Amino acid sequence: MRLRAEYEVGPNHRFLANLEMMHVMERALRRAGIPYHLSEGFNPHIRISMGTVLPVGIWGKKEYFDLEMDPMDGAEFLRRMNQVLPPGIAITACRSLGMGARALMKSINAAEYAFQVNQRPAEVEAAVQEIISQEEILVPSRGKKKNVNKNLRPGLFALNVVPQGDIAVIKALVSVNEPLNIRFDELLDLLAKFGISRESIVEFWREGNYIKQGEQLLSPLVTP
Amino acid sequence: MKDKLFRDILPRVAKPIRYVGGELNVIKKDWDQCQVKMALAFPDVYEIGMAHIGSKILYGLVNEESPHLLERAFAPWPDMEQIMREEGVELYSLESFTPLRRFDVIGFSLQYELSITNVLNMLDLAGIPLLASQRGEEHPLIIGGGPVAFNPEPFADFFDALLIGEGEELLLEFLSCLYNNRALARKDRLTRAAAIEGVYVPSGYQVEYKADGSLAGMTPVSSAYPARVRKRLVSDLDTAYYPDKPIVPYMEIVHDRAVLEVMRGCQRACRFCHAGTVYRPVRERSVAVLKRQADTQLKNTGYDEISLASLSTLDYSGVSDLVKHLVKIYGDRGIGVSLPSLRVDAFSIDLANEVQKVRKTTLTLAPEAGTQRLRDVINKNVTEEDLFQAAEAAFSSGWNSIKLYFMIGLPTETEADLDGVLDLLARVKAIGQRHSRRAIEVRASLACFVPKAHTPFQWRAQNSIAELEAKRRYLTSRKMKNVKLSFHDSRTSMLEGVIARGDRKLGEVILTAWQMGCRFDGWSEYFDFDKWMEAFRKCDIDPEFYVYRQRDYLELFPWDFIDTGVYKDYLVQEDQMADAAIPTADCRQAGCLDCGICIDFGVSLDVKEGKVDATAG
Repeated sequence: MRLRAEYEVGPNHRFLANLEMMHVMERALRRAGIPYHLSEGFNPHIRISMGTVLPVGIWGKKEYFDLEMDPMDGAEFLRRMNQVLPPGIAITACRSLGMGARALMKSINAAEYAFQVNQRPAEVEAAVQEIISQEEILVPSRGKKKNVNKNLRPGLFALNVVPQGDIAVIKALVSVNEPLNIRFDELLDLLAKFGISRESIVEFWREGNYIKQGEQLLSPLVTP
Repeated sequence: MKDKLFRDILPRVAKPIRYVGGELNVIKKDWDQCQVKMALAFPDVYEIGMAHIGSKILYGLVNEESPHLLERAFAPWPDMEQIMREEGVELYSLESFTPLRRFDVIGFSLQYELSITNVLNMLDLAGIPLLASQRGEEHPLIIGGGPVAFNPEPFADFFDALLIGEGEELLLEFLSCLYNNRALARKDRLTRAAAIEGVYVPSGYQVEYKADGSLAGMTPVSSAYPARVRKRLVSDLDTAYYPDKPIVPYMEIVHDRAVLEVMRGCQRACRFCHAGTVYRPVRERSVAVLKRQADTQLKNTGYDEISLASLSTLDYSGVSDLVKHLVKIYGDRGIGVSLPSLRVDAFSIDLANEVQKVRKTTLTLAPEAGTQRLRDVINKNVTEEDLFQAAEAAFSSGWNSIKLYFMIGLPTETEADLDGVLDLLARVKAIGQRHSRRAIEVRASLACFVPKAHTPFQWRAQNSIAELEAKRRYLTSRKMKNVKLSFHDSRTSMLEGVIARGDRKLGEVILTAWQMGCRFDGWSEYFDFDKWMEAFRKCDIDPEFYVYRQRDYLELFPWDFIDTGVYKDYLVQEDQMADAAIPTADCRQAGCLDCGICIDFGVSLDVKEGKVDATAG
């Protein structure tokens, strides 16, 4: 069967790179005695594929991986994995998929980031309104194509400000992967451009990854 | 401390995961409930230090089996060092983010001569005076141990004590002694500790030199200090502590796998080998114990590979049984076995074949020298026939690349020996070509021979940088297709040689070099030979005195007071046999060679799985 798991990575593990996170999962699978499938060839590896990369330095509430394995009860998978995972990393849900289901990397096209900003909510709200009112927002690309300006505006699906006492949290739902990949560091550049400096952002994380179909936002767990 | 690191410091450095701890199986003891608080400081980066087996053993041992506490610290990479200095962040432990200054003891693992500048740098980053003489009651005791501590004198100025030999029993005795005498002044605690066998307290000795610069004598300042310091060793590996739950790093480290220590020591008696003398005698672990350890290690770590570590794993009497067992039990789960070093013979290749059923590995053989004569000189008991058989077996079972280790600059080496290296490579390649239609690749790594203390070659002159460079040019002048040669840096080897057979006078040079900015000297991108030579000039010390001089058998050496259990007479005899190119047999087959270790230390050669394979020679 193919299993899709949703997991959270706490703030203490924010510096793990994608490959390191994959190793954490692979080692946990072995410790937990999960009946995973192996690839063929000289260097057999566990048939696991990780969702979109969680950038080094940020933590995430809803991350995903797919795993090929012998049939197993989902609740049992959750129990066994969470027993062996390091504190701060946990599987939060899972479901089985048909073998033909679209790969994670090919289906996730939206991600939501949260920025806790140490500024008055009204100020933050004003900055966000200013961003939304733009027709084009050019930011130097941080991706492979350097020295190119990238228009982020079409990829900004939603920007909301949630007041938290004296400070505010900006929730940004943005386009990832194809056709427009907005990187986390480009988002930071964008915010800085509109007066929300890197220093005023006290914490940030990824709320979740989604499959956006038209106006509908689906969890990778509930898609067919 | 942790908040500041996570918020302001770590987002600005490369590989921040090096500095955060919190790995699986980390042990964090309650600070206030523990007797002695010790930091285990590894003078290299995290991904190197975390691979060290000795540190894994001591970490588990102190934390699990004693009332003391042991936390880890590593050398920060220069980018992190710079930010730490700018921001006033002191070196801290990874378990509790406690500044190293607050520990009772900081113990440095000394695995490599050139890591000493990192030791100084770490002390400085911890805000601790570098010289033992300048430290007071408020500072931790600075101790060291590991193979390099067998010639502790170049480091004498920096350490309050050095622990000589295997640490399992020694470290716990040392820590308990400190605890029991905690009411005493620093100096008196050290005097008490000096009574423990294996503990060397440099401040307890007066050193005098002759006019020619060699050692005149080394005298204890009082009867509290022994005239000779005897190494410590573990007599039975089956009952010795070994960790069941080693830390599993998040970042990829060198040797990123579970490790079994199948034996300690090596009886091959290669005349150049430091470890071969200081870790005598051979002590094996039983297959039954190793099977159990493999099981618990894999269960507790989730690694996909298990390595059988020792100085010469193929000589372990149970190697065949153990490998077959591991492959059978774990192979279908995708868990492989790795053999770090292969013996040069067909038996080794058979076993390597067994291993690669799960995972394809690189094949590495170490003939060390190019001709039979020179291999006899260094007592590397490998014949050309062995090597060709091994190559034959390897290529016929599907390998298409092979790696060979050699040394250049060995005693008595001539041009014929260098030609011998090239001829061997050509013939190994020809054997490969017969078995494969694809191009096969032969890689040779050529290290510069560095004479080491306590070995039969401790009297020998090291080849000069000019000689080694000439040899390198000679070897590279004959180009062969698909044969790649790589050389160790001759200048690094020279400095390594100076410290390996150095004395207390070098302390000043090391300090000066560090002050001039030397650190990470084992890393080619940071090694600055010219700076080191400048430091020697500033201190008016001639480095060539330590390396390029043929020493006299009667000369007193700075490391002679360290008792490794091997007689000096035996070393002399081995050195003389080298001149005559007469090999010495393996004492497991040929019987006792009277090197001294077993009689002197009341131990014995501990071969666990019956008679050793007689074809081994």
